[in-house]
Amino acid sequence: MSRDMHSVEGIARVVGVDGATAWLEPEQTGGCGSCASANSCGAGTSQGGIGTVANRIAARRFTLDNISDLHVGERVVVGVAERALVSAALTAYGLPLATALTAGGIADSYRGGDFATMAAMAGGLITGLLLARLVARRLSMRGELAPRFLRRAPVNPPPKSPCGDLPPGGQKHLGRPGVFPGETCGGSTT
Amino acid sequence: MRDFVLLMIGAALVNNVILARFLGLCSFMGVTTRIDTAAGMGLATTFVITVSSMADWAVQHYLLDAYNLGYLRTVTFILVIASAVQFTEMTIKKVSPELFQMLGIYLPLITTNCAVLGVALLLVEGHMSFIASTLFAFASSVGYSLVMVIFAGLRERLVLAQVPRLFAGPPIAFIVAGLLAMAFMGFSGIATS
Repeated sequence: MSRDMHSVEGIARVVGVDGATAWLEPEQTGGCGSCASANSCGAGTSQGGIGTVANRIAARRFTLDNISDLHVGERVVVGVAERALVSAALTAYGLPLATALTAGGIADSYRGGDFATMAAMAGGLITGLLLARLVARRLSMRGELAPRFLRRAPVNPPPKSPCGDLPPGGQKHLGRPGVFPGETCGGSTT
Repeated sequence: MRDFVLLMIGAALVNNVILARFLGLCSFMGVTTRIDTAAGMGLATTFVITVSSMADWAVQHYLLDAYNLGYLRTVTFILVIASAVQFTEMTIKKVSPELFQMLGIYLPLITTNCAVLGVALLLVEGHMSFIASTLFAFASSVGYSLVMVIFAGLRERLVLAQVPRLFAGPPIAFIVAGLLAMAFMGFSGIATS
């Protein structure tokens, strides 16, 4: 992903066209599956199966209005508003947490028992998730969560490491400004 | 009330999960290339840590302690965390498919984040009440998110900086992380947890 003036960009591949609608699949550019051992641990994007990255990417397919005459196999740059990612995360995670903690705090101050607090927090969490659903629907109706087509990307990109271009010998440049040699550009978590 | 506030300050700033306990370092280095992705990852991790710690507390008190199964704690907690992540993923997908498309990529990464398990194990050591353990977990994960966003901001500036070739890449990132940890040491003594 790269930063435009007001949007977060990502690359997606057209996997289907149905009249005026195109189906796209986001390309995995970072996170688990981008390291050299991806194919041996099952996180590689080329492998299918339950729980693999390939499977998760397939689950994240989305549609675009095919106003740009997209064809299957084309790579396109799509973008969402820069603040959409944070507002989506706040809606999905922040709102349920806030209601759960508030409900738990109120229950603890009135009843004081662990079981009552736990029940109140569970209720608060469910209420928060229902509220998040309403807010997400509003955001979706405003079109803030939908990716927009920005431009076409190169069909056959040069081979890339997760963090940047590979030099001719296949070795990463040590000391290239802005690129951290040896890192996976994100995602491996321990 | 004062005890809860001190507990939360201690968990978030003094004994920060990343900079003081050295947990979640891979995501600290890996997902902090941009502020917005770091914030998204931080919020997702906050949610999972808090929800899984609630479940871990219940499992610890009503199952492991009750039946004297303490030796199964680590395995059980890993199972609870994986279930919490799966539950979160399914719930977000059900609540809003659009949100899932935008945020779903972070969730599988959290399953193997050692900060989640680390916080759960710290809760057991603390012998806290349910509300205290939940607030401790929430504050710990807020501290994690705070450091992730700060470090992402620093790395966005580092990209534009003229770094000597010898230090470019991970070395300068680790030096910056060290300086950040030293800055957080300034909070020592405010509160303990």
